[in-house]
Amino acid sequence: MKDRQIDELLKHASEAPPRAVNPETLDRVSQSIENTLRPVRPLPPTWVLSLGLIAISAGIASAGAARLGFNGIHKMNVLERSLIFPALGILVWLTATAFATEMIPGSRRRVASGTMLIVSSLALFAIFAVLFRDYRTDHFLSQGIVCLVTGLLHAIPTALASWLLLRRGFAVNPVTSGLSAGTLGGLAGVTVLELHCPNFQALHILVWHIAVPLVSAALGAWLTWASVRWSGQRR
Amino acid sequence: MIRAILGCAASPMNQDIDLELLMAQYQRGDFTAATVLIRQLSPQLSRFFGVQLASREEADDLLQETWLRIHKVRHTYRPGEPVLPWFYAIARHIRVDHYRKVRRRMSREEQLEDMTEIERVLPLKLGEGLDLESLLAPLPESQREVIAMLKVDGMSLEEVARATSSSVGSVKQKAHRAYTKLREHLAAVTSRRTGGPS
Repeated sequence: MKDRQIDELLKHASEAPPRAVNPETLDRVSQSIENTLRPVRPLPPTWVLSLGLIAISAGIASAGAARLGFNGIHKMNVLERSLIFPALGILVWLTATAFATEMIPGSRRRVASGTMLIVSSLALFAIFAVLFRDYRTDHFLSQGIVCLVTGLLHAIPTALASWLLLRRGFAVNPVTSGLSAGTLGGLAGVTVLELHCPNFQALHILVWHIAVPLVSAALGAWLTWASVRWSGQRR
Repeated sequence: MIRAILGCAASPMNQDIDLELLMAQYQRGDFTAATVLIRQLSPQLSRFFGVQLASREEADDLLQETWLRIHKVRHTYRPGEPVLPWFYAIARHIRVDHYRKVRRRMSREEQLEDMTEIERVLPLKLGEGLDLESLLAPLPESQREVIAMLKVDGMSLEEVARATSSSVGSVKQKAHRAYTKLREHLAAVTSRRTGGPS
């Protein structure tokens, strides 16, 4: 059987009138809509929402680094600064756009949330691997945990504030939206660490700094999954 | 105004533009526009649920739930954007949500029984007269919805990609796989009916 024949079969089958919808159902729907019908203000364009998300990420990252001290950026050379921060800026912008898109049903998705997380992690891994060549592992665990916690402590408020900004949106895929929110928060967390952390040992940065967006995204996805499941069980 | 819109809506070429207009008016609080939208899109949405093997009662419930959700989140539609992907994205969300709830309730055994039922019914229906639900029944859910939107509702690849939160490439791939599966299935059905090797 050829594609054309399948096309014809589908066309033939779809030409049959769709099964009639129960008029009572439609009346019920109309009635309940009428009772609560008020003018609404449509959501702003995606770029406005993305700008808001970028502002939140930049604001929280800068405030966090200001409180902890800009020791990391002061220790960096020009090449390190000019590669790390523009890359973080681009990744934050892409993730913010992906997250804003996630919250608007039927909008065009250029990059999937999962892909964005993988791309962000790999891009940061590549940049850090190229720039940092000190392979000592002094205080690997103790300093690493401090950095991971610091990053997450900035990732969580960023993700929450971002979610708050997009609260008027509607997540058709709540788990991927949670993943996006977590990734965005995680990138803000990494930015804080790059501004603040003066430990330039390659393994420390490759493991603990990159763990921030990964853990944060996993937390975001898990929390939304759990809340969907919980609200489903409650209904 | 609404009469003019309804007049234009008869032309499939203008359907999307008119739905956009109606949607914008619905957002401004126009009840007539809301009613027209409900009357015009409900059969299409009901068929979308039907193709996903929902019973008539289930399809009615899902339709009602979809409209209530659409009403709640009507501000998320941005004027000028394609309207059908917006409606279908919400309808799809409701269906997936419903499917999850049902799956939680049903035991694995019951699910297997249902699958056998579909396989049994399909060849008989094909012999008697074609209906869309039976034709698409052998396809997995993700492929079925893509074929329903592309071939039944006449949406473009881009619109289906928007409605399913995926890329155009992924929609093309699903459609291709669905055609391969349909080809195999229809060949098997034909050979069974003509008494050929099964």
